[in-house]
Amino acid sequence: MHRVGSAGNNSNSSRPRREKRLTYVLNDVDETKHCAGINCLAVLKSSVADGSDYLFTGSRDGTLKRWGLAEDAATCSATFESHVDWVNDAVLAGENTIVSCSSDTTLKTWNCLSDGICTRTLHQHTDYVTCLAAAEKNSNIVASGGLGGEVFIWDLEAALVHVSKSTDAIEDDSSNGTIASGNCAMPLTSLRPMNSSSNISLNGTQTEGYNPLAAKGHKDSVYALAMNDSGTVLVSGGTEKVVRVWDPRTGSKTMKLRGHTDNIRALLLDSTGRFCLSGSSDSMIRLWDLGQQRCVHSYAVHTDSVWTLASTPTFSHVYSGGRDLSLYLTDLATRESLLLCTEEHPISHLALHDDSIWVATSDSSIHQWPAEGRDPQKVFQRGSSFKAGNLSFTRARAYLEGSAAVPACKEPSLTIPGTPGIVQHEILNNRRQVLTKDTAGSVKLWEITRGIVVEDYGKVSFEEKKEELFEMVSIPGWFTTDTRLGNLSIHLETPQCFTAEMYSADLNIVGVAEDHKINLAEETLKGLMAHWSAKRSNSSGSQASANGDVQSGKDVSARNHSHSRLEVDGAGNRNFVVYPAFEFSTVSPPSIITEGSHGGPWRKKITDLDGTEDEKDIPWWCLDCVLNKSLASKENTKCSFYLHPCEGSSVQVLTQGKLSAPRILRIHKVVNYVLEKMVPDKPLNGEKSDGTLAPGPAVGLSQFPANGVDIFSSTGSKSLQNLKTSIEILCNNQVLSPEMSLATVRAYIWKKPDDLVLNYRLSGFEMLVYGHGDAIFLLVSTTFCNLFFAVAGRDQNYLQLPSKS
Amino acid sequence: MGAAGSKLEKALGDQFPEGERSIAVPPARLKTSREREGRERLAEKGEEEEEEAEGRAGAYEAAQFLERTTLPPVLNSFNNTYIDHKCKIGVKGKKKEAFLGTEVVCFEKAKRNRSLEVAITEDSVACRPHKSCSRIHTFGVLCSEISSQKKKTGVIAPKRFVQRVKKENELFRSYMHQDAHEFLNFLLNELVDILEKESRAAAAKNSPETSSPAEKTANGPRNLQANGVHREPLVTWVHKNFQGILTNETRCLRCETVTARDETFLDLSLDIEQNSSITSCLKNFSSTETLNAEDKFFCDKCCSLQEAQKRMKIKKPPQILVIHLKRFKYIEQLGRYKKLSYRVVFPLELKLSNTVEDADSEYSLFAVVVHVGSGPNHGHYVSLVKSHNHWLFFDDENVEMIDESAVQTFFGSAQEYTSNTDHGYILFYERVATTSQT
Repeated sequence: MHRVGSAGNNSNSSRPRREKRLTYVLNDVDETKHCAGINCLAVLKSSVADGSDYLFTGSRDGTLKRWGLAEDAATCSATFESHVDWVNDAVLAGENTIVSCSSDTTLKTWNCLSDGICTRTLHQHTDYVTCLAAAEKNSNIVASGGLGGEVFIWDLEAALVHVSKSTDAIEDDSSNGTIASGNCAMPLTSLRPMNSSSNISLNGTQTEGYNPLAAKGHKDSVYALAMNDSGTVLVSGGTEKVVRVWDPRTGSKTMKLRGHTDNIRALLLDSTGRFCLSGSSDSMIRLWDLGQQRCVHSYAVHTDSVWTLASTPTFSHVYSGGRDLSLYLTDLATRESLLLCTEEHPISHLALHDDSIWVATSDSSIHQWPAEGRDPQKVFQRGSSFKAGNLSFTRARAYLEGSAAVPACKEPSLTIPGTPGIVQHEILNNRRQVLTKDTAGSVKLWEITRGIVVEDYGKVSFEEKKEELFEMVSIPGWFTTDTRLGNLSIHLETPQCFTAEMYSADLNIVGVAEDHKINLAEETLKGLMAHWSAKRSNSSGSQASANGDVQSGKDVSARNHSHSRLEVDGAGNRNFVVYPAFEFSTVSPPSIITEGSHGGPWRKKITDLDGTEDEKDIPWWCLDCVLNKSLASKENTKCSFYLHPCEGSSVQVLTQGKLSAPRILRIHKVVNYVLEKMVPDKPLNGEKSDGTLAPGPAVGLSQFPANGVDIFSSTGSKSLQNLKTSIEILCNNQVLSPEMSLATVRAYIWKKPDDLVLNYRLSGFEMLVYGHGDAIFLLVSTTFCNLFFAVAGRDQNYLQLPSKS
Repeated sequence: MGAAGSKLEKALGDQFPEGERSIAVPPARLKTSREREGRERLAEKGEEEEEEAEGRAGAYEAAQFLERTTLPPVLNSFNNTYIDHKCKIGVKGKKKEAFLGTEVVCFEKAKRNRSLEVAITEDSVACRPHKSCSRIHTFGVLCSEISSQKKKTGVIAPKRFVQRVKKENELFRSYMHQDAHEFLNFLLNELVDILEKESRAAAAKNSPETSSPAEKTANGPRNLQANGVHREPLVTWVHKNFQGILTNETRCLRCETVTARDETFLDLSLDIEQNSSITSCLKNFSSTETLNAEDKFFCDKCCSLQEAQKRMKIKKPPQILVIHLKRFKYIEQLGRYKKLSYRVVFPLELKLSNTVEDADSEYSLFAVVVHVGSGPNHGHYVSLVKSHNHWLFFDDENVEMIDESAVQTFFGSAQEYTSNTDHGYILFYERVATTSQT
């Protein structure tokens, strides 16, 4: 790290204390569909006559997609994945650049005809960036508005120059460490294979040296922006309820227009910048004359908040959509209005495309409706129109009175389907599976250590399924989840994530001892980083070409499946083993969202990691875990407990001290321990108790006949098994199943914060004694007698019983 | 009492119905009730009840009481009688219930006079049967003592009550000055506890007469009348009189979904400003707050943190509206609280407009607890109580009749430094039967 004089990362400065977390998003199988609501639309018209047009969509799933538009179909031709939160808005800036903004507080620029290359990340906002505005005739100028009243005006060209410079330095660091002069960025960059998706290091760069123009003065959050074609007028609106007018060239305030009574959610400017249309949560659309500085018209068309506006090229008509699910077309001059169509979800964005209009809603699919944008009067011939009132909620009243209009169109002309987003989820007790419900009502069971759906239950009751899947097991919560991106996001934070362990046998892992303990987070991290590790070791020998990298990645995944174990020999002889229970799908690989030691957060598919990511890009604790197998600071995974004989039981006291064992220790191990203690100086065949059981003070077994042990051991473990079944472990007077773990007993049976107390007794034995005298006699007379006596040694009852029978 | 009492008696002689008494209840002398430092009452809106009756006298007395004998313990002991007592009183009319509440408070503070009067006039009959029990339940006793007074005016020292309170709550055991608002809260909550225990016990014994908790406050008194002796198991008279419902509406600014959550309150603690009025304070109380920046709202619809607007509205106005003026403010430079002597006009007739329902609720002022003193940590309480259209001024054992216009001398001062240190602190408004009710 010899970046000198680089400005600190302002976006991170607010929370320096916490370690960066690692999040992975379980992607849906179908990569060509959005899985959460669509927030924005942009149409790129082909510059050549017969070229195809493109639609860009930005979604709450954090991605943008490009759709190639044909006559009657739209096909997904690229996914732009780098934002780590909702994409809130996107605008085209010139022929081949699209700018997007997100709740992750960044703007990103993309080469819009590439296959997803993020060319720049612009950090300046400190809160969600909600809206963008571009000047059609000056493709370098983009304005961004966000929460907290932040409005910035960017000169993309200038920003690019500065970003390239700072990129140099980083390329330096990560490749050969030579200090390059700021001007030879390109050659240096070419030394390093460019991966298909965004360049992380690039993402990490700040816009050092370039500061956008700030339009200061907004008191409250900005929810809408618009700019005229030449970039001379900028309008903003938000919770302040006023339309503010700025000169984007200087960032100075021009005027403030009052009239709306609630949040302003949508703005439009005509090409000259004279007229402005605003849509507000007060349900009104207003037309402002900026020359006269007043509202010239107000249109009460909607019955609820207006969220989006789109005007015809001549600014004669406006299409509006909003929370009332309705899309209206209004003639600005005659005030005539018409319900064009109704959606099933609130309308978040509109994009006019020749004679049709694209409608985005809070659903993941996009509809196209016929709109006659080139001759809107035609629409009025199709349906019954009404005169827009000019008082707020006049429409609402009309609506309530039953005069609701019938939409002119019933069916969309085209639908781009999305996949249903997850709206409800529940982490199951096994802490490896999550039950989810999506917007379509389907209930699915995910295995988060593999990133796949293991069961699709269809449309059943989520609550009932949850009940049904209840398991009485207790495993510490080692991850947290959220579903804001429509998919499950799994968050891992150190050191909490390293608290959960399981036995290898329970994960069906072969080739290791069945009681080998598996740390779930460690293995999950290894699973996530398998591709990274493979590429890293390949490239560490020789700088492999990009092709080679991809190839090896595929090899890895192929081997992965055929051998059910993935072994990659790292350059440093590291044995990188991923157990099948932690192999992530390569068909729909999860995406990692994380943040390194500098730079902002980034997002990438695990298969797109190129092996060059290091501590600058990935939290150190993840690398430490994957490379050095050192778990940041291992949380105490032990459980302490007392083991006492049952009250009223006649069994000997084995130990009085506090015992300590892994929380996942099964009760049958405790049984073993009890057995072992009863027969103190002889290890039981193959039943050695868990080494971590602290030896308690053994109590008086010394007087047993020495030969007893010999007899016992000579007869093997079969008889021991018999005896085992007769030892019962109890907690709170409840007999415990041998399969329960200490943590489970503690959580579901003990239910107290203090140390667990387990009791043991020979109930099976006693039953035999009392219920089946003969059997006991048999036992005693054969292999068990010594043990029997040993057990009974401190208890006259036992001694006497055999003789009774 | 002597002179003052007789004068008052004389004054009231003609106008007061037979059997009414105006009795000051001076506790052992205490200097002042203290306002607890920095007590931020806003959070406690839900719990307050009427204690305002403790005027200056109340304050002094209360303080005294508190210091010498603590009030809280009393409550427990007299649960039964006390409750009965109240219920009965309540039976007679809406006012009485309210008054009882106040009285209780006053008693505790020793200044319950006005309440007492009311209670006395209206309850005298009801109280008698309980006399015997009352002894156990100090509060009830105090009430009944007042109500059963033969004299029209007089002073009762609420020793027993204070003792009890002190015994049962160590907070009041010290010689610290106590805050009237805190005491009101304490008293009302304690009463609710007691009443609930009572009614549970009663329900177990008798046939379960579980009246729905949703019973309207407005009808409360009438029901009480109808049921006479019965206690409400869930809706105590405290609830019926003092409890209102606030609704907390949060609107996500992204999806604009409104989430509403209701919460009950026994009083409203209002932030105050210089030269304002109760109406404007109430308006501020209901003003919109934006959840933003680091304090965003998790919207279930959006599955994410978003900005949101939150506001409080009164969904169900209480029968008796207790308004607590937050006359204290933390001054950073001083590192301590300061008393705000702001002029806050409290009208005799108040319209509540920030309600969910369209109809305004009208209230009329019937009692004011006045804090006398320049600092928040000490001082004296006196009270103004309206009884039978007369405003009575209670200062410890002194009770005098004052002109209605004199109420405005307790609004506060427009200048920061002023010799007038008597400021209205807790206001008791009673709901006026509106046209909708008749």
